[in-house]
Amino acid sequence: MNLITLEIAVVILALAVLLGDLWTPVAHKRSLGYAAAGGLIIIFSYSFFAAPAFGSGFNDMLVVDGLSLFFKRFFLVAAIIVIFIALEFADRIETGISEFYSLILFALTGMMFAASANDFVLVFVSLELVSVTFYVLNSFQRNRLASLEAGIKYLILSALSAAFLVFGIAFIFGTSGTTNFSAIHGLLETGPDFGKNSAFLLGILFVIVGLGFKIATFPFQIWAPDVYQGSPAPATAFLAIGSKAAGIVLLLRVLFIAVPQVALHWNTLLIVLAAITILYGNLCAIPQRNLKRLLGYSSIANAGYLLLGFAALNQTGFAAILYYLCGYLFAVLAAFMVISIVTCGRDSEDVTVLAGLNQRSPLLATVLTLAMISLAGIPPLAGFFGKFLLLKAVVEQGATNSAYYWLVGITLIGVVISLYYYFGIIRAIYWSKEPADLSPVIVSWPARAVLIVCAAGMLYLGLLPDRAVQQTQLAVQVLKVNSPAVQIQKEARHP
Amino acid sequence: MTPVGLEHFLVVSGVLFCLGLWGVIVRRNLLIMYMSLELMLNAANLALVSFSRFNNRLDGQIMVFFIITVAAAEVAVGLALIVALYRKKQTAHVEDLATMKL
Repeated sequence: MNLITLEIAVVILALAVLLGDLWTPVAHKRSLGYAAAGGLIIIFSYSFFAAPAFGSGFNDMLVVDGLSLFFKRFFLVAAIIVIFIALEFADRIETGISEFYSLILFALTGMMFAASANDFVLVFVSLELVSVTFYVLNSFQRNRLASLEAGIKYLILSALSAAFLVFGIAFIFGTSGTTNFSAIHGLLETGPDFGKNSAFLLGILFVIVGLGFKIATFPFQIWAPDVYQGSPAPATAFLAIGSKAAGIVLLLRVLFIAVPQVALHWNTLLIVLAAITILYGNLCAIPQRNLKRLLGYSSIANAGYLLLGFAALNQTGFAAILYYLCGYLFAVLAAFMVISIVTCGRDSEDVTVLAGLNQRSPLLATVLTLAMISLAGIPPLAGFFGKFLLLKAVVEQGATNSAYYWLVGITLIGVVISLYYYFGIIRAIYWSKEPADLSPVIVSWPARAVLIVCAAGMLYLGLLPDRAVQQTQLAVQVLKVNSPAVQIQKEARHP
Repeated sequence: MTPVGLEHFLVVSGVLFCLGLWGVIVRRNLLIMYMSLELMLNAANLALVSFSRFNNRLDGQIMVFFIITVAAAEVAVGLALIVALYRKKQTAHVEDLATMKL
C-alpha cells in the first residue's frame, strides 16, 4: 500500500459518483449512494488486508503512522454510516443528491489527509478542504431558509477561524523558519530559548483557536447550535463526528508532535477550557426542544470531555480520547439516523416527534435509547467506559496539580446535568402524554442494518473494551509527552 | 532614515489583521464581512511573505500560493451562498439571519 492509496481511492470514488450521475436516470440517482457506500466499505476492508506503508513522504509533509491509520479507518466508518443516513434523507434533498454523496466523499478526503498531516501547510489545506465542502453540505437544502442560514453562519465563522489559523502559522514560520512538525520539534529540543519566544507562542495560540473552532470548544462554540439545527441531518451528523475528529487529530498532532515542550506548560489553559466547555454545553442543552440543536449543545459538552484527555497530558489520556471518539461515533450517528427517519415527512424536529416511538417502531426506540444512555455515560455502554478512561487519565495527573481534582469534580457535575436532558429524550419516547400519531414507521433494511451495527458497536465498546483499548494505546505511541512529574525529576537530577 | 525592515512589514500585517477582525465584528453586511475576512487572510499572506524574505527561505512564499488558491475557492462558494440567500430573502444583513432561536 502506498502512503496515500486510501485517499486516492476515495477521490476516485467521489469522481466516479459525479460521473455516474451523468448516466443515471433521475429516478435512480438516489441509489448512487449505495455505490458510494459500497466503494467505501471496500476501501475500508482494503486498509486491513493490505500491509500498511508506514513512513513519511512529500518532503516530510505527510506521515503515515499508527495514529493516522487509526483515524483514517475511523473517518471511513463515519462516512459509510453518514452516506446511509443521506440515503434515508434523500427525499428531502430536491436536486443534486449525487453531488451530496460526492461532497461527503471529498470532505472525507480532507479528513483523511488531516489525519496524516505533519506540516502546517497540509493542516491548512486539509482543514479548508473539509470546511469548504461543509459550506455546501450545510446549505444543501437551499430552498429552506434555515439550511441557508446555517451554511452562511458556518461560512463566516469558519473563514474567521481559518484566518486566525493562517496568521498563527505565519508567526510559527517566522520564528522557527519552518512549517514542518518534526523540524519544529527538533528545534525546540536543541534551542530551549526559542520555545519561550512570545511571537512563537502567539502563533501556537492562534493555531489552537483555528482548531478549537472545528472541535467546538468554548469560546469558539457559538456556531455549533445554529449550524447543527439548520443543516440537513446527514451533514450535521458528519459535522458532529467527522469534522470534530479531524480537529482532534490535528490538535493532537500539533500539540504533541510539533510542540510537546510548549503543551507541557499549557495544562492550566487546557484544564480551564475543558471545564468551561463541559459546563457551557451541558447547561445550555437543558432548555432545548429541537433535537438537532440539543445534540449541538451535547456536541459542545462532548468536546469538553475530549479536552480532558488533552489536559491530562499523558498517553493514557490520548488513548482515552481515541476510545471516547469511537463510542461517540456510534452513539451520535445512531441518534442522527433515527432523527432523519422519524422526521421524514414532517416539518418539525421537536422532541415531540418522538412521542410513542416505542409503539411506532421498537427498533428505532431501542437504538435511540441506547444512544442517549451511551452519551449520558451510564454503564455498560461505550460512553461510560470512555468517560471512565478520560477521568482515570486526569486522576493519574492529580498528584502534579490539584486543579486536576477540580476538573474531575466539574466533569462529574456536567455528567449529572446531562442526565436530565438525555433522559428527557427517553421520556419523550416512552412516556409522552399524547402520542398524536401511532402509525408504524417503515425502516428500510439498510437503515436497519446500520442501526444494529451502531447498537452493537456501543455494546461491544462498553462490554469488551480490552481489544479496543489496546488498539488505541498502540495508535497514540507516536505522540510525545513528558509528564510534568518526570520533567521535574529530570530537572532535579540535572540542576 | 532607517531602512524598511521586517518589523515594518509585520506592523502593517498586524494592522491589516486587526482592521479585518474589526470589520467582521462591527459591520453587519455579509459582503463587507466577507471582504474583511479576505483582508485578514491577506494580512497573514503579507506576514508570511515578509518572514520568507527576511529568513531567506522560500517555504513561506509557497504557503502563500496555497492560501491564495484556497481563498479563491472559499470565495467562490461563499459568494454563491450569499447570492442564494439574497434570492431567497432579499437581504444580505446578519440581523435578518435569525430564524433559529432557542
